[in-house]
Amino acid sequence: MTAALLVQSTVIGLSIGSIYILMALGLTLMFGMMHIINFAHGAIYMLGGFVIYYVFFQWGAPYFAAFVLAMVLLGAAGYLVERSIYRPVKGGIEPTLVALLALTTLLQAAGYPVFGTLDKHVPPVFSGTRSVLGVMISVERLMIIPIAGVLVVGLYLFINKTRVGGAMRAIEQDKEAAALQGVNVNFINGLAFAVGFALAAAAGALMAPIFKLDPMMGEQPLLKAFIIIILGGLGSIPGAILGGLILGLIDSIVATALGAEPAFLLSFVFIILLLLFRPTGLFGHAP
Amino acid sequence: MPRSARTVSVLAVVLALLLLLPLAGGDYYVYLFALVFTNVILAASLRPSLTCGQLNIGHSAFMCIGAYTSALLAKNLGVPFEISLLGGAFLAAAVGLAIGYPSLRLRGVYFAMVTVAFVEAIRLIASIWVSLTRGNAGLSGVPKPSVLGVTLATKTSQYYLALFLMLVVLVILYKLEHSRLGLVWKSIGMADNLAQSLGVNLANYKLLAFSLGCFFAGVAGAFYAHFIRFLFPPEFGFLLATNILIYNFVGGRGHFAGPIVGAAFLSLLSEPFRGSPYETIFYSIVMLLTILFLPGGLVTLPGKLAGLRWWKRVSTPRPSTAA
Repeated sequence: MTAALLVQSTVIGLSIGSIYILMALGLTLMFGMMHIINFAHGAIYMLGGFVIYYVFFQWGAPYFAAFVLAMVLLGAAGYLVERSIYRPVKGGIEPTLVALLALTTLLQAAGYPVFGTLDKHVPPVFSGTRSVLGVMISVERLMIIPIAGVLVVGLYLFINKTRVGGAMRAIEQDKEAAALQGVNVNFINGLAFAVGFALAAAAGALMAPIFKLDPMMGEQPLLKAFIIIILGGLGSIPGAILGGLILGLIDSIVATALGAEPAFLLSFVFIILLLLFRPTGLFGHAP
Repeated sequence: MPRSARTVSVLAVVLALLLLLPLAGGDYYVYLFALVFTNVILAASLRPSLTCGQLNIGHSAFMCIGAYTSALLAKNLGVPFEISLLGGAFLAAAVGLAIGYPSLRLRGVYFAMVTVAFVEAIRLIASIWVSLTRGNAGLSGVPKPSVLGVTLATKTSQYYLALFLMLVVLVILYKLEHSRLGLVWKSIGMADNLAQSLGVNLANYKLLAFSLGCFFAGVAGAFYAHFIRFLFPPEFGFLLATNILIYNFVGGRGHFAGPIVGAAFLSLLSEPFRGSPYETIFYSIVMLLTILFLPGGLVTLPGKLAGLRWWKRVSTPRPSTAA
């Protein structure tokens, strides 16, 4: 591998890693508070991409308006999922997981009659290329890194500096104690669903101009996000960020050298080895 | 009639109907029901793992291993069906041990996520190992099943083979569930820390439940391979794995009959949409409705309906006897 190719795949790895981080952050936030894994995250990523397709490409709205709309719409959908699925089963983890799986397959399958069976393409939003360390990289890919960065910093400030974020941290530590202190646990859980869904929608909306769109497009990023949160430790936000960067780089460099399938198999083997020797992940607490 | 006698007579009637079905129905029903039996094996074999509280979302991967192993043994090496079926089942169980050992020691969600990723890993291996599996072109020309050297050439004879395999698997699983082992599994599912405090080795019992399920998923896969005679990697993906879980939850988690009822009900009712997105839409909607409105699954439905009638009848005061 030449140096130029290495630089190129590193930058692309950072931009893909930013997408993975957005996916993994929502998953790890929801796991920390409710001990559930949102299997529907990949389907929400897919819907985020399709909001961009219709609102930006078909209806001609500005890209950033479509981007914000995707986050708001799917964030609201996340709150509704908490109201209509998580709350009625009274926090039962197993029924929630199975219901989220069914929601995933429902959204994916419904995508075919609703969006059509042909792959969709969104035209580029940012045109041109820019030189990074002497290697030309498309601005489209580069722009993902600052946009995702803003969202990650925003999430960090939201969780650590606002009252609602404090309530989320309180639920993560002890749900009953938080409720006794006057935290409206149901409402805050609903907000966590909304934040998680909005981040997944943002990830899909960022990737829409780069990859083709189809109803199954969310499956790969979801699996990547699973690997990241196992790598970083379930419930750990720094772990999700570091894990996302590591996996993005591995993915891009190994995929450039060997191909995408061996890259996935390699990351799977890596996860099995990690579970054998350091089961709580890089940043996780003892289970 | 006492409860057990009623159960036995219902079972006898169902079995007689299934034995007579090929005489009454055409090839279409024979084919359809052989697939239903395969789904029943898959659904029932997930139950031990679920009883331990382990959400296995990767069962289709073990079916895939069983299917490809048996098909390749028979096609490339001419191994008889009985042996290739067992070969597929044992390899599926062995891989189950290897995947389960690192992931079952942790909280259930780790295991659930690892199994989802494993489905994708196995699907990728089946599609990129072209020299062995023919990849996404599909593996065709799998030999028909044979028993004691006699090839089962007709779909009707293969139907009886499927019925036989399903009954054997169900009897084994039923016996296990009602043995000491089954009680230990149940205790782990209900309160694993309590079970552990009583000296139950959690990891080993969970691993046993999981790899036993993988074994029978391998059996189902091996039969499927020789029945359909064409294997295609994407068929063994996340969707099939989710469907196997859905059979269990729609049928009901609390009773041995749950996965059987769920698999039969969903595979038969979704038949008009088979192979289209509407099949998945139907499954998913039934699943969501079940979780929200009938959490115990279909097996609790007769009891609930009877409860309604009873409630109406006794709305006039009636002397209560201490329960």
